[in-house]
Amino acid sequence: MAAKKPKKAAKPAKPKAKAKVAPKKPPDVLAADPSLFDPLTPGEIADALRTLTEDRRVASMAKVGRYRVICTEPLVVKPPHWMAGHRLARVVAYDYASARAVDACIDLDAGVVAHLQLDQSQPMLSRDEEALAVSIAMVDESVRAKLAMGDMPLATLHYWGRSSLDISYNRRSAAVTFGRSDGHASLVAVVDLIDQQVTQVVPAELW
Amino acid sequence: MSNVITEANWKFHWRLTESAGIMIYLADFKGRRVLWEGSLPYVTVDHQRQEVDPQKDPSEPHGPWWIPLGTRTLVGPVRVQSFRGGVELSANFVAGPYQYTQLWRFHDDGRLCPWLTIGGPGVHDQHTYHPHFRFDFDLDGADDDAFERFEEGRWQRVEREGWFPYSGEADEHGNVWRQIDFGSRASINIRPHTWDDAEVFAIRYHDGEWAPFSPRSSQGSQPFPAGYVGDEELDGKDVSLWYVAHVHFDQSFPYTAGPWIRVEGL
Repeated sequence: MAAKKPKKAAKPAKPKAKAKVAPKKPPDVLAADPSLFDPLTPGEIADALRTLTEDRRVASMAKVGRYRVICTEPLVVKPPHWMAGHRLARVVAYDYASARAVDACIDLDAGVVAHLQLDQSQPMLSRDEEALAVSIAMVDESVRAKLAMGDMPLATLHYWGRSSLDISYNRRSAAVTFGRSDGHASLVAVVDLIDQQVTQVVPAELW
Repeated sequence: MSNVITEANWKFHWRLTESAGIMIYLADFKGRRVLWEGSLPYVTVDHQRQEVDPQKDPSEPHGPWWIPLGTRTLVGPVRVQSFRGGVELSANFVAGPYQYTQLWRFHDDGRLCPWLTIGGPGVHDQHTYHPHFRFDFDLDGADDDAFERFEEGRWQRVEREGWFPYSGEADEHGNVWRQIDFGSRASINIRPHTWDDAEVFAIRYHDGEWAPFSPRSSQGSQPFPAGYVGDEELDGKDVSLWYVAHVHFDQSFPYTAGPWIRVEGL
């Protein structure tokens, strides 16, 4: 009788092949969410301003209250930045108390100020500042004396002096253009918005 | 009106900004990403006189000025209109003596025209206009970009950030600058308007270096976009471009400034 074939030892179970995991793709700009570019809602704007003014770094600005919010717009950062995919607001303000610009990025998802820049740059004028410049120029005697019949304020130019000799070089200023309703300019008045006074009156042809 | 437009082989989004006119974002051509964001951050104006008498006027007394192109100066609606072979967006902006029409034209052959028509009398007729267009092209993705300019009869790679004026040389199609994606070899070609006296700033993209809300940086510093130019490498990085036109007072107005841009290789 033939010896029984020894039973084959059971094959050890093959170690399970590691499940193939696709390498994690870094987030890509190609998959950006268009809704992040949408205009901010009034609630989001309010949220952004609250978050900013609660930040200790701008506490003095918020406390004194001599600042103007220039604009609040959505901001979208690209992957792989950690804020990519977050709803962000960019808030630009001008702090008259310390003559500095405030440029902040608010992460509305996290409720934090994610980026804050304070410097001496001159962001554009807010609508309030444009209107203030007009009202200052309109009541100034040196301006009124040079206005012709029918002259009216046409536009507020966002202006800064090129030379350090010009007072507008380092002071927040606007240039109010006066003229006829057909758009023909006759006079330009430079307004120092910090001291709220007219610093220059220039005939349009010499501007 | 929807802010997503799919027409003429393009799909893009738009929105009206507070100061940079109509912004285009996430623009794809034939299903491939071309542009992350493009806008017109500002149009500065300054003074040039026809006769300069150094005895009477040794310095330039009046600095540059500008008016935001945005919600506060928009007149009428933003228009979306089809034309033969494409689709365009347009909007009028008026502030006193300054009148601008901003255009974004998308052609089905891959051309893209971000233009600005300058009209109105201005404060007077001896001023120069400087429209500043900003483009953040992400051709097939953000990285792997290269920037080249046409000079000495051929395309030459630009390795570092800088300011690159139009020297008068262009390739056979009139292109002067181009951005290339290393991965796909697709390119963005930029052809200036003959009379724009144009220049391009090529800057490595950084979060935080977004389009500023004013051309003016800190006192005594270079205005933007020059304020963003350093010495960083461009090859293989994410690059943003600023096209700046200089429209001199002796042009005939209304004048339409801005480049022809053509996407190739997609």
